[in-house]
Amino acid sequence: MPELKERPKPFLLPEFCKGCGRCISACAKHCIEFGKEINPQTGLVPVVIDLDHCNACGLCITACPEPYGLRETPVVLEFELEDPERLFGTRHSTAPEPVEIPAEILPLPASEPLVIKGNYASAIGAILAGCRHFFGYPITPSTEGAELMAKLLPLLDGVFVQAVSEVATVNHIYGTGGAGLPCMTFTSSPGFSLMLEGISYMIGSEVPGVFVNVMRGGPGLGNIAPEQADIKLGVRGLGHGNTHAIVLVPSTPQEMLDLTILAFDLTFKYRNPVVILSDGYLGQMTGKVTLPRTMKKPGIPTWAVYGDRNHRRNLITSIYLSETDLERHNEHLNEKYAQMAVEARSESYLCDDAEVVLIACNTPARAAKGAVQDLRHEGVKAGLFRPITLWPFPIDALLPLARKAKRLVVVEASAGQLEDEIRLALSRTDVRNVVPIEHVRRMGGMLPQQDDIVAKVQGSRPIAGEEKAAMRPEVHV
Amino acid sequence: MSTVFYDRFERHSNAEGLKAHATHYCPGCGHGLAHKYLAEAIEELGVQDRTVAVSPVGCSVFLYYYLDVGNTQAAHGRAPAVALGHKMANPNAVVVSYQGDGDLASIGLAEIVSAAQMGIPLTVIFVNNAIYGMTGGQMAPTSLMGQKTATSPYGRGVTAGQPMKMAELVSGLDGTVYVERVALFDAKNRARAKKAIKKALQIQVEGRGLAFVEVLAECPTHLKMNPEETEKWVKDNMLPVFPLGVKKDSVPEPWFHPAPPSFDPEKVLKLVGGSSEHLERFCTSFPTHLDPHDISLKLAGSGGDGAQTAAMLIAHAGINEGFDATHIPSYGPESRGGTSYADVHVAETEVHNPAAPRPHVLIAFNAPSLAKFGPTVRRGGTILYDSSVVKEPGTFGEGVRVIGVPMTETAVDLGKTMVKNIVALGALQAATGLFPKETFLTAVRHALKEKCAMIPLNEEAFAWGVKTVETLTS
Repeated sequence: MPELKERPKPFLLPEFCKGCGRCISACAKHCIEFGKEINPQTGLVPVVIDLDHCNACGLCITACPEPYGLRETPVVLEFELEDPERLFGTRHSTAPEPVEIPAEILPLPASEPLVIKGNYASAIGAILAGCRHFFGYPITPSTEGAELMAKLLPLLDGVFVQAVSEVATVNHIYGTGGAGLPCMTFTSSPGFSLMLEGISYMIGSEVPGVFVNVMRGGPGLGNIAPEQADIKLGVRGLGHGNTHAIVLVPSTPQEMLDLTILAFDLTFKYRNPVVILSDGYLGQMTGKVTLPRTMKKPGIPTWAVYGDRNHRRNLITSIYLSETDLERHNEHLNEKYAQMAVEARSESYLCDDAEVVLIACNTPARAAKGAVQDLRHEGVKAGLFRPITLWPFPIDALLPLARKAKRLVVVEASAGQLEDEIRLALSRTDVRNVVPIEHVRRMGGMLPQQDDIVAKVQGSRPIAGEEKAAMRPEVHV
Repeated sequence: MSTVFYDRFERHSNAEGLKAHATHYCPGCGHGLAHKYLAEAIEELGVQDRTVAVSPVGCSVFLYYYLDVGNTQAAHGRAPAVALGHKMANPNAVVVSYQGDGDLASIGLAEIVSAAQMGIPLTVIFVNNAIYGMTGGQMAPTSLMGQKTATSPYGRGVTAGQPMKMAELVSGLDGTVYVERVALFDAKNRARAKKAIKKALQIQVEGRGLAFVEVLAECPTHLKMNPEETEKWVKDNMLPVFPLGVKKDSVPEPWFHPAPPSFDPEKVLKLVGGSSEHLERFCTSFPTHLDPHDISLKLAGSGGDGAQTAAMLIAHAGINEGFDATHIPSYGPESRGGTSYADVHVAETEVHNPAAPRPHVLIAFNAPSLAKFGPTVRRGGTILYDSSVVKEPGTFGEGVRVIGVPMTETAVDLGKTMVKNIVALGALQAATGLFPKETFLTAVRHALKEKCAMIPLNEEAFAWGVKTVETLTS
């Protein structure tokens, strides 16, 4: 004969009752009343329960909003109830300590060089780096990257999602990156502006993700021609808070591939987003791209919120309610930024004896490289210093050149955003008397031309854009 | 008490004092009930290990203090987008987007609407209490008409519009499979709410679609009433505007079971276009008769002339021969209006500047292109133009060869206007000797390997281009 099972009656520790009284109206037997005595531990007035007439219907339990409020009476109802520690144990979570699922490096068969656009090269780099999740919103001149992902990822059982906006895009990345998987987007300047909120959250929550910004002309809608006017966003403006991310600046289709692969390594190494600033010209440029001999199958890091038992105890968040906690978190992030200093990269071309050092990145660096050749041909000791990371700025490599050079000429497609970085980096060194810094700048989708750079260095003629620039007041902020 | 709640709420002020076992919610708040029903559903369905809870911004920002599951805290309004990212990362995860009314029905409208339209299996718990809680009693998108709040001190007026009826809105979207509005103000409705939350979770567990439960909840603090009065207020005032019940229940068969991503190197290589096929080389050395290191070409015409394709073929040919090469479609104001210009470089070792401001060779498919770029061609350079369309080429710099080739007419005679760019490549070969003929033809054949039937026509077009120039210059 089956044993009759008695339903448990409610049980309440007064210190976990906020006295809201939602249980009172739920009880058909009128067993519960508002209390009259203030609980000395909480300062609140818990309800009073008289179980004499209780029929153990359980409705009061369902009505109590507190997890540890009204509950079914535990089987062992002893004096131990006085001690919540002993009653509930001290474990925070029953989940295990997460174990790392390591990434695998797989050999890639040898192949002939590809002849592809910069945007395609970057997408292929992502696939070789193990990225199987792409989220994005179409925007010229970056769309080839998204289009190739849309074509290839389904064939690799990967995920391509065309998001409702760039705001949604970065939050999809926050989700997939938070789950510990490599993911990315392609965008261009106006879209990048929209992603900055989410990038701040990603930095705050230490979520990896790769952002390829194929920069176009601004401000506002601007145009779809190349510009470098998002340098300040990438380097100094990644949303609110004390944020930084490694910023890579490729200048060839080959580098679009190589630096995208590097970006995925760095984003997981530091648990921090990585920004690739390309430009509209480079994105559209076709060139020779040699594939590496390995590819990656990603693992799942220990910190991820993947949605399995191994990672159950994890949390992805950027909220630190207490000021001391948030300051400590900021200190931790800043220590991480400091560690990233070793990632500074640059390339010097004919700089050993250079009296005139040109400084440029992205496509303008290629015009500058052409100009160096022209200048050398005409007997001018010119060289090119090309940052590959803008943050951290490769000041250690620039400094010896800057000490030796007679002139520094910054070549850029912006109103001086690269030059500002150079000046800031120099200002933090022991160099007090920097050689004159001159510039060749174009904006609005125009790029500095090789001839203009040569003319600037030789002082042979006024260069395009300079006449007007001379009339513009220098803006110091 | 559900075991899905943490034994101790360590994240709640480091579990100081009573905070280890008490929520941060005000007495009588409906969030605690929604949390409990969610925790119980997770426990009953046995999915605690697989669950990822996405906390929003608002009072329930600290959902992660309480639920012993994977937790992610999202930006204001973005929880469904974050949830989608989690679900796509691990389709086996059970992902819950838990949001309040300001979060879901105001700042996050685009995210919830797009997620609800896409219909990827997710569970959305929407707690509607008609007011902003954590921010301090401001008007919510779901505040009632005439409701006085901190930002509607004279009552919600007509210019603020009617309250958002989210359950009705999302039930009208194609991706949702189950939508119900429930309430918490009495025992019967609490039982329904619990059941609805469990069903919404189960639908996702079974991979059937996006389920949405709107919970009408009480905010005694900001409605400035005691909990009992608030329950009554919800019943008397919210219900007429937000009718309870199932808004949609069209649960399909399980369909969401994506395969894990592939990391097969052979497959990846093939898909990205990598091939070990080594194309035959014909150049014995770099064409130094044109330039010692770096030759630049400009191809200019109208869209449809094939300038970009011809440019790509030159770049491919150069790279096949082991040189460096680049191609860029021209930018600048002149690239508007259906014109199509391409800059190409072929360099012995490395192309420095991929632009071609002073090309060695110009191929002009029409008169404006010839007029514009003809003067930029270097001394000693070559201009090839389509004499079918340009009748008066004009004169250009000293030492610049100007050769008219009837590209269009030749192509028309061959039966396909589109091969005029291949005629141009033949002419380029014959006029400059940039590469041997076979180098060009190998690049053309390789480009057409998926459309082999086109190869003979293109070979013929190339031959005509060569022959025309040879005849003209002999």
